[in-house]
Amino acid sequence: MRLVYHLIVLALAAHTAWYLFREKDFWKQAGAALVLILFLLRLVLVK
Amino acid sequence: MSIRRTSPFILSALTLVVCFFSGREFLAMRAADEIRPGPGLTAARRLSDYFPPLKGTPGDTPVYVFQGPAAGGSVLVVGGTHPNEPAGTIAAVVLAENIRTAKGKVLIIPWANASGFTHSDPQEASPQRYEISTPGGRRSFRLGARVTNPVHQWPDPTIYVNPGGQKLAGIESRNLNRAYPGKPDGSLTERVAFAIMALIKAEGVVLGIDLHESAPEYPVINAIVFHENGADLAATAQMSLQAEGYDFRLEASPPNLRGLSHREWGDAAGIMAVLLETANASHGRLKGRPSAALVVDGQDKFYEKAAKLGRLFVPFGPAGIPLDERVARHLAGVSALLEALAEIAPAKAVSVENIPAAPAVLTQGLGAFLRPPD
Ligand SMILES: [Zn+2]
Repeated sequence: MRLVYHLIVLALAAHTAWYLFREKDFWKQAGAALVLILFLLRLVLVK
Repeated sequence: MSIRRTSPFILSALTLVVCFFSGREFLAMRAADEIRPGPGLTAARRLSDYFPPLKGTPGDTPVYVFQGPAAGGSVLVVGGTHPNEPAGTIAAVVLAENIRTAKGKVLIIPWANASGFTHSDPQEASPQRYEISTPGGRRSFRLGARVTNPVHQWPDPTIYVNPGGQKLAGIESRNLNRAYPGKPDGSLTERVAFAIMALIKAEGVVLGIDLHESAPEYPVINAIVFHENGADLAATAQMSLQAEGYDFRLEASPPNLRGLSHREWGDAAGIMAVLLETANASHGRLKGRPSAALVVDGQDKFYEKAAKLGRLFVPFGPAGIPLDERVARHLAGVSALLEALAEIAPAKAVSVENIPAAPAVLTQGLGAFLRPPD
């Protein structure tokens, strides 16, 4: 179950990071960065 | 290179910096709070000593044993069933740092749901910690969440069917006070509940006291909730508390409300089980901005207004209901229950010295009864 959770969060984090680098608008990049914080903290099971 | 090309790198670096500092703060909540049991301590154990599979899990927690020289009964005092109800934990810590047992045995669990202390309730803007001044400096304590950390127990079912067969909302699967009598192969929360039941049976506990707090607008407040096994005991304690000026309501534990300490400790182990509630403004829905000061000082203008409108079940003035007062109330409750036990079952009496007297806690402050930090 933990592996499934990790894979889901990893996929979402990777997708958000990909979006951050592909997006041209700075404010949209910043929005993606904020979302990425939550995914990364989840990925390492801190929060 | 244009700003557009470099900004993702800068933002990624900032993301990692924020992750580092916030992650460090979250992880700090996993370190146990300090406690300095007094000279009356006879053994420092862990809950896993009573249920070894709990060892090494986030559910394991300290158990402090105060065994007196004379034979008597055993009493269990539990704080931190709900980690966002600090008066329960602090009353348990104050007992552990002060008492000596002359007769019988007292067992104290200050952080019953240890996992719940490692995080905060989401979207509540709760402070992670609060501080209490002692003559030798300030002591810091964690304010946790009502339920087990989802990092330790995931996912929640849509409907939680607890060990007693009651159907509850999914989040209640992480509520220790819905998980009794627990399951040896259940979720972390159910295993913690099972371990507490194992302790009750192994130690021959005759009276279990579960210390809680609830919102001032909640009807079961300033109350002794009792299992029918402890009806005489609760009534006797209530009379002496009233005489001391402490208004306590008596509430019978409903037989069809499964999974709660005051129900299952009594049903499954046959002990006298009681739960004490005090009124905590930081707990309720009507409060203003949450803060560590609200937890400790208990002052809130919205609760004052609610009291004037007759919406609360306790008086609430400008002085609020500070932690000192809530802990004093719990200590008065524990003392009265111990005296009632000696009266009702003299062979099982537990005689405890040095429980800080409630009026002394009110006049000198809680800090006078906590050991100073290093
Ligand atoms: Zn509670």
